[in-house]
Amino acid sequence: MDEIPAFAGIMDLKDYIQLVFSDYTLRTITLGTAILGVVTGMLGSFAVLRKQSLLGDAISHAALPGIAIAFLITGAKDSNTLLLGALVSGLIGTFWIRGIITKTHLKSDTALGLILSLFFGFGMLLLTFIQKQPNANQAGLDKYLFGQAATLIESDVWLMAIVTGVCLFVLLLFWKEFKILLFDKDYAKTLGFNTKTIDILITSFIVLAIVLGLQTVGVVLMSAMLLAPAAAARQWTNSLAKMVFLAALFGAFSGVFGTAISASQNNLSTGPVIVLVAAVFVFVSFVFSPTRGLLFKQIRFIKNRRDLELHKTLAFMYHIAETHENIAHPHEIKILNNFQGFTKGTLKKLVEKNYVTLKGTTWSLTAEGFESASNLYNQSNKKDE
Amino acid sequence: MSSAQLEIQIIASLVAIACAIPGTFLVLRKMAMISDAISHSILPGIVIGFFITQDLNSPLLILLAAITGVITVVLVEYIQKTGLVKEDTAIGLVFPVLFSIGVIMIAKNANDVHLDIDAVLLGELAFAPFDRLLISGVDVGPKSLWIIGSILFITIVLLVAFFKELKLSTFDKGLAASLGFSPVIIHYGLMSVSSITTVGAFDAVGAILVVALMIAPAAAAYLLTTDLKKMLILSVVFGVFSAISGYWFAHWLDASIAGSITTMLGVLFLAVYLFAPSKGIIAVMYREKQQRTEVSLLTFLLHLKNHDDERERHVNHLNEHINWQKVRSKTVLDLALKNNMIRIDNKIVSLTTKGDEFTTQAIDYIMTNEDSQIEDMKEDFFLFRG
Repeated sequence: MDEIPAFAGIMDLKDYIQLVFSDYTLRTITLGTAILGVVTGMLGSFAVLRKQSLLGDAISHAALPGIAIAFLITGAKDSNTLLLGALVSGLIGTFWIRGIITKTHLKSDTALGLILSLFFGFGMLLLTFIQKQPNANQAGLDKYLFGQAATLIESDVWLMAIVTGVCLFVLLLFWKEFKILLFDKDYAKTLGFNTKTIDILITSFIVLAIVLGLQTVGVVLMSAMLLAPAAAARQWTNSLAKMVFLAALFGAFSGVFGTAISASQNNLSTGPVIVLVAAVFVFVSFVFSPTRGLLFKQIRFIKNRRDLELHKTLAFMYHIAETHENIAHPHEIKILNNFQGFTKGTLKKLVEKNYVTLKGTTWSLTAEGFESASNLYNQSNKKDE
Repeated sequence: MSSAQLEIQIIASLVAIACAIPGTFLVLRKMAMISDAISHSILPGIVIGFFITQDLNSPLLILLAAITGVITVVLVEYIQKTGLVKEDTAIGLVFPVLFSIGVIMIAKNANDVHLDIDAVLLGELAFAPFDRLLISGVDVGPKSLWIIGSILFITIVLLVAFFKELKLSTFDKGLAASLGFSPVIIHYGLMSVSSITTVGAFDAVGAILVVALMIAPAAAAYLLTTDLKKMLILSVVFGVFSAISGYWFAHWLDASIAGSITTMLGVLFLAVYLFAPSKGIIAVMYREKQQRTEVSLLTFLLHLKNHDDERERHVNHLNEHINWQKVRSKTVLDLALKNNMIRIDNKIVSLTTKGDEFTTQAIDYIMTNEDSQIEDMKEDFFLFRG
């Protein structure tokens, strides 16, 4: 397992920020995880919206044998060649999954689970095989299992930055195509777009993003990096552009905060902490998002129920008042007691709204109240039709 | 073969059987990824259980971990029900979080816990025979053998007792509910069994292999049969075969047994995927190719039927008009000639009586979709089989 060494015990925020700028290792790791967060957030948005959330999980596991084979062929631990191997085997896994889904009657969940576990098992076989080889160089390949942010060096960060730049460029270039493919594939086809190519392009980019993250968060947790920022961003907006931007932002913050937390504590591995920080973003978004969030949904639900009770009481009063010549004719409050929606609270609200006036133990509708009650009735009639 | 080797193979085979049974139902119910989620998210349960019991084989630990597994399912379903994200995203969010919590718990207590995450993910079957179960001083066999044996026994009892209910609720939830079998109870029952099996097996073979052993044999069996009982038997056979051959492969290669069993499963699935008689990829591609040719043939015959004029039926004109590639035209022409449906006199193609009848019947079939007339055509043409 990895910890970022030597920073334990430093908890002062100001000191920490200074350290981020002055210390090479910490700066590299912070930058690396932030950039990783950006690229996975951006591409994760597409994965989530295309209902391919678990594809990330499958791809990241499927990348493992590629790493092992790349090592077996080159015999060197250069992270670029290993990642190239991971990319190739991730792509093979992805296209095999597609093959299983399109050519057989096995469903997508089976295909994903199958490729995930089979590739991973094969990768583990190779890793244990490599460990038995008389090659002093082999130690540390298992860092790809859980990731080891501490091993990031400047060239890794540059690679990430370049790939992120390319992703961003392609994303902007083919924005329209990606968007239309996402929301209306058939329409995209009729417009003459080559949906297959666009599809392959975006899937390949998702694979690329996952492979980039293997070194930092590892095979097992990579899928969360892809999903969590996007799932959080989805709650705040209905616009694709805003969602992609927000997801990138959430991803970057998860990376930075996760690195900070794991650096300031002993024995805290970076990958899992980043995932947990991202999960906090998701939780907050699920609960507090103004339009979709659970909290406001519940509040709206309660408010609607109250409004309904109020309206019901008003309608009931209206039916009583209707039978009299003078609408302001006072009635006993007692007769309302049999009515279900009636409470003291609702009566008080009605008085506040100036729909009803109270006099001793009697109530009477005001003109305003009568008017709005009759409109209420009409509206509900109209809606029924 | 030493007794330890034999014991390892027996344990691996029992795990394979115990996984294949719930796995078959998971695959049929389109919930295969749930097994992956469970296998990861039991980690915090295992760690907490380990804090309490200090013994990886304790029944309490298995129970705690299995409960974590069921909690995962409940959480996934809760998140899904809120409608904020889709089901697959819910799965993908829940298990990494639980897994991360487990990893951090292990890391924070690394000095007190002799628990390795690699061991959780991979297990070490090779050491399983050394952890013996002693009952009043008598050695009755490896602990894992007893654990997985009991889990398998319970699974089989439950399978036999509730086979009808399971079958019905898997294939027709509505009917099961209307007949009074609660799909919810069966669902959670299956989830609990999967969860317990995963926990019971992870110690021996690791979390990932559990997933592979659940999904791969069932998926391979599903490509070979559509009969539930046959599918169950086939997946058990596949599982046991991979377990034993995987063991010897690992023995030869001197590598992880779990990884090697998974690799055998992969090879097995690949073979079935390629060569399964009617659903394998080669059979499917052959069928698709034949169907394409047959559609072309039909188009060609129709064209002939609709054009009486000799000029329209001249080879050159047809070439120009239908505009197929050379190879394709030749395949179609050969097929038609072989079936005595056309005649070529002096570069003029015309339908024979048989070809004429065939075209009429085929059109009838395509329009009405009633296939009584074309029973005899099914033999020769893929197009009319589905």
